[in-house]
Parts: sequence; structure tokens; C-alpha cells
Amino acid sequence: MPSAVRSASPRLIGITKLTNCRLVRGDDLVWGDVWVSSTTGKIIRSQSAFYDELTMPDEVIDLGGRIVSPGFIECQLNGAYGFNFSTLVDDMTQYGKQLRSLNKRLVQTGVTSYIPTVTSQTSHLYKKVLPFLGPSGSSRRADDGAESLGAHVEGPFLNPTKNGVHNRSVLRVASSLADLEDMYGVANITPSSFQSSPPSPSSTPTDATTPTTPTSPPSEIPIKMITVAPELGTMANLISELTSRGILVSIGHSEATYEEASAAVSAGATMITHLFNAMRPLHHRDPGIFGVLGATEPAPQLQPEPQQSQQQPQKRPYFGLIADGIHLHPATVKIAWRAHPAGLVLVTDAMHMVGLPDGRYEWTNGEGEHYIVKRGSVLELEGTGVIAGSSITLIDCISNFLTYTGATIPQALCAVTSTPAAMLGVAGVKGSLEAGADADLVVLSEKEEEGEGGGDRRELVVDEVWKFGVRVFERGRD
Amino acid sequence: MRFFIRDDAAGASTHVASYIVDRINHFAPTPAHPFVLGLPTGSTPLGVYKSLVEKYKAGEVSFENVVTFNMDEYIGIPRDHPESYHSFMWKHFFSHVNIHPNNAHILDGNAPNLEAECVEYEAKIQAAGGIDLFLAGMGEDGHIAFNEPGSSLASRTRVKTLAYGTILANSRFFGDDLDKVPKMALTVGVQTVLEAREVVVLALGARKALALQRCVEQGVNHMWTLSALHLHPHSMIVCDEDATLELQVKTVKYFKDIEQVALAQGFQQILPSQVRTGPATVPTTIVTDEFPPPTIHSPQPTTSRLLCATPATEYPLRSRSPSPEPSLRHLLTTPETEYTQDTEYTLDSRAATPDFMPDSMASRIGDPSLLRRATPNPEQRHLQQPRQRSKSPALVSAGRLNGIKV
Repeated sequence: MPSAVRSASPRLIGITKLTNCRLVRGDDLVWGDVWVSSTTGKIIRSQSAFYDELTMPDEVIDLGGRIVSPGFIECQLNGAYGFNFSTLVDDMTQYGKQLRSLNKRLVQTGVTSYIPTVTSQTSHLYKKVLPFLGPSGSSRRADDGAESLGAHVEGPFLNPTKNGVHNRSVLRVASSLADLEDMYGVANITPSSFQSSPPSPSSTPTDATTPTTPTSPPSEIPIKMITVAPELGTMANLISELTSRGILVSIGHSEATYEEASAAVSAGATMITHLFNAMRPLHHRDPGIFGVLGATEPAPQLQPEPQQSQQQPQKRPYFGLIADGIHLHPATVKIAWRAHPAGLVLVTDAMHMVGLPDGRYEWTNGEGEHYIVKRGSVLELEGTGVIAGSSITLIDCISNFLTYTGATIPQALCAVTSTPAAMLGVAGVKGSLEAGADADLVVLSEKEEEGEGGGDRRELVVDEVWKFGVRVFERGRD
Repeated sequence: MRFFIRDDAAGASTHVASYIVDRINHFAPTPAHPFVLGLPTGSTPLGVYKSLVEKYKAGEVSFENVVTFNMDEYIGIPRDHPESYHSFMWKHFFSHVNIHPNNAHILDGNAPNLEAECVEYEAKIQAAGGIDLFLAGMGEDGHIAFNEPGSSLASRTRVKTLAYGTILANSRFFGDDLDKVPKMALTVGVQTVLEAREVVVLALGARKALALQRCVEQGVNHMWTLSALHLHPHSMIVCDEDATLELQVKTVKYFKDIEQVALAQGFQQILPSQVRTGPATVPTTIVTDEFPPPTIHSPQPTTSRLLCATPATEYPLRSRSPSPEPSLRHLLTTPETEYTQDTEYTLDSRAATPDFMPDSMASRIGDPSLLRRATPNPEQRHLQQPRQRSKSPALVSAGRLNGIKV
């Protein structure tokens, strides 16, 4: 009888069981196991696998009590390892090559998916580079490294007074959607359902061999998110049109008042690009964009009065914070987090100098030659003192955040996993350890050491990174 | 019945877990000869599973060749429902050890034909060679598995309606909503449990005290189905102090004393090897024709024991040839012998023991083959007897000499 006699040997189906580890589940660290499949690239429902498929893990890995987090999602990354997403190269195949090399290195920092950010540039550059930066995950190859979830265009519809290091001369004011289509290229901003022949955009992603090349049929449009200054032109009216195309609208580089920002949020803006930076500071009589976080979602009322029912319940947007210790004071980080913990997305806003040694790096925003001086993780536009993005990694942002705020580890990890996943509309697929989610994992160890200022520094260290159920990085075995 | 009382629930659970681990390791299961374990669910065995998992992780035991059969499962809740026994076993045991999914059997409460499922389950148990050890908990009303009071003691795996009390007790797992509690279950029968080669029952807490008293101190009673354990030759109950509340002091003292005495004697209350090794053939001495010919190449004199370095008092002082078994006595007077071998033999022993010359009538027997038979070397005698009885032509012919008196 088969009951007593096993089949010859268990089938090798690429199942790995991570055991003796603490899993990020909501606000808790829970002892448990994760079963991942390298075949499907997903976290599997272990109980069903056991009883239905009669499968056992091919490999059991004892993590010795370390923390397993979903892979990090980076929502503001301008480039890394010497490669800037906002550059044109003569031979655009080189662009794709460098991008793939970046993906492989980026994943080693724990960032398993990200939205590559293109700063304010000319239309020519957008049209050239955006096809490379679209969602790259359809092939589901672990070896490809970090996965793009779509591009983030940070500009050029920004306020010239809050340009940061963006080139003022390329900034534009939009008066219609056509302006945006002209700027980014129709194909980059218009889902197929909005084009003449409408096959559903939600159709199964085709299995493209090289997903980052423009030749692959774009199952989704390259642009995932646009940062705009809502107070300019007719942008306030265009927000709802953009969101209807599945594009997220973020408020940033803006002089918007509280009222303008609130109106943008009501119209469908769901994100604030690097809160506090490149926007009006909080003033007690004019709270500005930050004030939107103070909106209270009205408590449910038994009998809503007609006046109140006109007032739409204000949904608070997500917001990015650069917790590199330079862009924001630690107390500011804490205040913002306390104001809306569920909306916090930690971002690096890292430039391509991240991962490079200190020094003087040539950089152009399309307006003459500039140099950015990298000193540690500080980047400064030479001769101006303007902060030119950061060169911090996301894991360091998390450690900073832990140290600044006294948040629990799961709370900090939510800000780079489940919260950005929800913001990007990929909750349950990314940023989750539940069965069915993509098996993008980071194994972390904790460190706590005496800080200089008396306070202890709490640190997390990336020990291992898993992409689609395959270990792609192991610290010390590089 | 063996009965062990431990100070607390943890001690009792660890005792059971250690016992199971010992059993498995002694059994040395192989794929062809797996150890078959019957398993319960519920709050009582949680500590046992925890301990088993710890022992597995510490490398003390492997479940690679262990086949398990669970006692019961609800009918009509999804298999992956958090309260299903499939989920329980996965959560508390299977997911942590190296048991193969093909070897883990749980009744399917969603089978299209429940009756057929039960019949098939019994067949699977049979096919696996029967259950070596059935671990069980005990209900407050003395039920074992879902065999609630009044169940037939001859029952087998079947569909069972749950008693109202059990439904009520279970409702705490279903949001205190009686409507959500399953009303039916599949369960192995009392007879199925009794057919296991060994049954180990764990009873924890004061709430089980009355049932334990009924099952331990009173006779077999179908209203306390666990009491059917008295009909089992190798049953064992392990409980904590709280569960003994209703027992007589005499009973508690008796079982504690037995354990103490057994421990003091270095004697564990172990099972006969037939039970311990399951359906595999008990290793016995196989007598074949390749057995060395019945010649003594290097005679082993009985007296050599007296020459050992150890004090002679440790060994029974025996004469060189004690009086042979009555059945053989008649052979000893056979005259047809030569003395050659025996001469050497006696010379050897004499050289070693010049002062002590044990002698008996047997040494004067002429036939050396007869003398060998009478040599009271217990191991040799044990091994050779059956062979000699059946095969030795000398013996057969000697049988004709009946009537000759010693």
C-alpha cells in the first residue's frame, strides 16, 4: 500500500523553508517559517503544499532567530553605482546594459523592487529613457536583481521656486493632458485601453525576454508616478485624468498652500514627494502641504448632517521622508511619522554617487557642467551649498529612522515594505510575507551600539536577500 | 497498566515525549519497516508536540521513517480552517519535523463518501502494519478520540455525532458561536485504539481528575470509554499531580512506589521485544546446516569460571557437571564411547586447579558426545537444544535406549 511506502524520492521543486526566524507580520515580529518556491517565485501556502502536493522543502535554512522582512521597495532613486537614470547615452543599448548591472547590485542592498526616478529633463530624454524604466518584473528572473515597478517622473511640471537642483530652464507648466503626452511621449503615459484599439491593460503580462528594452510589448505603461506642483497651470484638474490612467500623482517641488494641497489630494493625489524638502515649511497660519497630514478622517456619524456630507472625508496621502540625517532633522522625521504613521514611506532620494567613493563627481542637470562633492553620505552642489540628493542606502535610512523615533522594527520595516506596496497598488504581491506574495525577502540582523550623543544607535544589517524565491545575496559570501 | 505521575503538566508532557523518542529510536525504523504512531489533537498533547519538536531540532530523533495516523477530524469545515485538525497538526507538529507528507494520515472530513473514508482509513492502518504506539488524550467525560460516553467499546473508525458538552467545549475555538462548531466528526473507534501495540494516555489538570479516577480505579465501563484501556496488555497513563485529585491516596502511592522500586532496581517497565519492534521478525537465533559440527574444538570447562579475576561469589558455584535435565538422564549411561577427548579435557582443568577437583558421575561416562550434551553451559545449551532435539541422529538413536536408569 502506498500509505506506508513513500515514493522513491521527493520531487525537487525548488521549495525552500526558512525556519527559526522572526517574521514581520503587521506591527509584530512573529516566530514562524516561510516557504518559498523558486519555480513560481512566490511565498507558498505551506499547509496546502504539504497536504495537497505532498511536498517537502528541498532545503531547510535555519536563520538562527534573525528577522525576515519582505524585500524593500524604494520609491525615490535617481541612480546608483555611477549610473544616473536621467542620462542619455549615444548608444541606448548601453543604457539598458548599465541599468541591468545596476539592478544586480541594487538588490544586494535589500531593495528588491523600486521605481526609478527621472528628474526634470527635456522631452527628448524622457522619450528615450522611459521605455527602459518601465515595469521589469514580468520575466520573474531572480538573476536580474532588483525589479522596476514603473518609472517615477519627478518633473518637469514643478514650481521653479522649489526646484532644488533641478534645472529651472526645463520646468514647464501644463495646461492640458496633451502637454504631458507631448512631454513624456504618448506611449509612455497612455495605457492601451486609452488608445484607439483597446485591449485590456490588465491582460496577462507577456513573458518578454528582455523586459527593459523598448522592443518588448509594454503590457503596462512605463510611468508609474508623476511628481507635480498642483498649484501650477491646470494641473489640479489633470490629476483625476492621470489617476484614471493608473498613474499615481505625487505632490512635490511645490509652493502649494494647505488649500491647494488638500484640493490635489481630494482630486486623487496619493503621495507627497520627499515631505518638507522642496516645499513651503510648516507655518502655523499656513500649514502648507505638510498640513494635509493633519486632516482627520471624520469619525463615522450616525446621522450625517447635509452640510457635513458635502465635505468629502479627507483621505490622507502617503509621504516620502528622506531619513538620511541631512535632509531632515530627526525630530522632524518623528513628528511626520507621529502625524500619520500608516502613510510613511522611507526613501533615499539617492543619486548615482551612492555606492561610489568620496570625491568630486561631474554632474549635469542639462544646464552646463556642475560638480557634486560627495563627503560620506552628504552630496553638495559644488559652490552652492545646496543639498543635491543623498547617497544613503535604504537600510541606513531604516536604521536612522529606528534611532530617531524609537519605532519598533516592524513599524520601521513597514515604511519600506507594506506601506509603499499599498501606495503603489501592489499590496499582497510586494511588501508582504503572506502566501501568494512574491518571494522577495530580506534577512536582517539587529545591532545596537552606543551612539556618540549618548543615545544608542539601533541598526539593521542586511544579511541575505531573496528574489523570487532564490537567494541572490549573502553577506560575507560576495 | 503502567501509570506515571509527574509533578506538573510540563513534566508529564516531557515524560511522554521522551518515551516516544526512546520507542522510535529503539525501534530503528526503516522505510520498509516504519514506526507507526497514532496521534491526538487538543490542548493536552500540545506540550508533547512542543517537546518532540525540540528533540527533533536537537537531533535526538528523526521522523523520516515514522508513519502517523491521527485520531479524528471534524466533518464539514474546510481542511485549512484554523480549527481543523489538519491545521492543528501542521501548526504544532508536521511543519516543524521531517515527516514525509505521504506518511502523515488524517481522516478527511470533507470526503465525498465518509463511510468509505473510514473503511479506507482502517485499511491504511492495517497496510502500515498496525499502530505501534497510540498517543491519546482524555476528555473530561473519559472519552478517547471522539468516542464519547456510551460508544461501543468494539467501535471502529466511523462517523460520530458529537455530544452537546463537547460542542459546547469546542465553541471557544469558534468564536463562542455554537452554530459554527462542527456537530459531527470522523473518529477512530475504541477497538481501533485497542488494536495498537501500545497505548499511551496523557491526562493533565484537575478537570480530568474525575475521569481519570473512573478509568484507573474502576472497571471497564462504556460510559468512560478510556477505561477500555484495562483490556489492553500494554497501556500507559501519564498524568500530572492535579489530575490525581480524585484518586485514592492508596492508588497514587501504589503507582509511585512501583516506579520508585523499578528505578531503584535499574529496571524500566519496558515492553516485550515483540511489542517494541512491531511486525518485524524478532531477531532469533537461526539454526542452519552451516552450524559448526558438533565437535568441541576448544572445550570450555565449567570450572574456568572459578578462575576468573572477579570474586567467585558472583557466580553460582556449580559442580563441573550438575545433574542433567531429567529428560536426558537416561542417556548418560550409554556405554559406547571412547575416552580420548574427555581425557584432554580433564587434564586441562586439572592443571589449572590442582587442589579442587570437581568430579561427578558424568565425567565417568564413556561417550564424549553424551558428555557434551550434559555440559551445563547455559548459553550453549540454549542454542543447541532445539537443534539437537530435531537433527542429531545420535539423539534420535539414543531415544531408543529408553528405560535405562541412571
